[in-house]
Amino acid sequence: MATTEKAADTEYGKEAPPAAAPPPPPKPSGTTIPPIVDVALRALVFAATLTSLLVFVTSKQTIHLGPRSMEAKFDHSPAFIYFVVALSVAGLYSLLTTLASISIIQKPAFSNTFLLYFAFWDVLILGLVASATGAAGSVAYIGLRGNKHVQWQKVCNVFDKYCRHIGGSLAVSLFASVLLVLLIWLSVLTIHKRIPK
Amino acid sequence: MESQKSNGGFESRGEKEVMVANQRRVGTCETLVRILALALTLAAAVLLGVDKQTKVVPVKVVDSLPALNVPVTAKWHYLSAFVYFVVANAIACAYAAVSLVLSLADRGGKRSSSSSALGLMLTVLDMIMVALLFSGVGAAGAIGLMGYVGNTRVNWHKVCDSFGKFCDQGAVAIFLSLLGSIAFLLLAMLSAMGLHKKINK
Repeated sequence: MATTEKAADTEYGKEAPPAAAPPPPPKPSGTTIPPIVDVALRALVFAATLTSLLVFVTSKQTIHLGPRSMEAKFDHSPAFIYFVVALSVAGLYSLLTTLASISIIQKPAFSNTFLLYFAFWDVLILGLVASATGAAGSVAYIGLRGNKHVQWQKVCNVFDKYCRHIGGSLAVSLFASVLLVLLIWLSVLTIHKRIPK
Repeated sequence: MESQKSNGGFESRGEKEVMVANQRRVGTCETLVRILALALTLAAAVLLGVDKQTKVVPVKVVDSLPALNVPVTAKWHYLSAFVYFVVANAIACAYAAVSLVLSLADRGGKRSSSSSALGLMLTVLDMIMVALLFSGVGAAGAIGLMGYVGNTRVNWHKVCDSFGKFCDQGAVAIFLSLLGSIAFLLLAMLSAMGLHKKINK
């Protein structure tokens, strides 16, 4: 900001316009994206991953069939364990980057470097969340519909509450990955807008 | 013209590489990674798309009769996760081809503001391909793992002990697609780095 003002000042002095001339228009600040959008999106990603995790982990259901009882829990499938681990990492990451993004608003000096790091790590976390959603989603789909070719019976007609929890959790994590895509676009656009013409 | 130049740089990457400008090296690197992504996703889609195995399995209908030999076929489109995987890889492959042509044409032409606008669009689409490919790898990987080990709690039996070739071919396809999605990840990182360098210049 300081450099642009300086440049404008020197330009003003060189041209030596008549006194009545209007001052040079300031750089249009309306085209740049305010950094608060970044903070808000990151906080939203954190909220989404936390909600998804809580709904997923509380999906335990026990069913009594006469003398024996059957239990459905998230850690019965490796794909679901991967989902929980991946979303925990993504939640922790989004919490940390929300704090970092707030600190950038207060100290904008490191903004460009941080934007690059954010873009790097956001892409990695996007890959993590997308693969976890894909893995858990494909297993949940077989639980919902079954597959007669390999004789895997559907289980969601028995464990209805369990499946509802998992379905809701997957929808929220899909939302989180869409938010991550938006975040990366935002970083790239911000870097792009700062290129000196 | 362009391909000749990139070929020359690739064959004798000693002194020539140092001499070429920084911008051009990044561009060549991006082109190479794009070709790699194209090849890997194409190989993954084709490998799983032709995956099929027929096996004769003895089935006992009635205990008193001898077992009946029934041919059982495993095809890739029996599992919806595999269908998703093949479609995702085909989309990524088509996109890689189109973007390769676009980026080469852009580099051959004039370097003006239009080039960075196209670069921005390609970066944005690269991110979507990262998400698409990773979700496809996750989906097919989870089902493939289920085929290898099964799940005793819900009585889903493993199928890879009888369809070994089918499963191995699927595993190779998933691994190739994982490499392809890492290539797209690299592309996104490279373009972010290129943009960042332009700020500091």
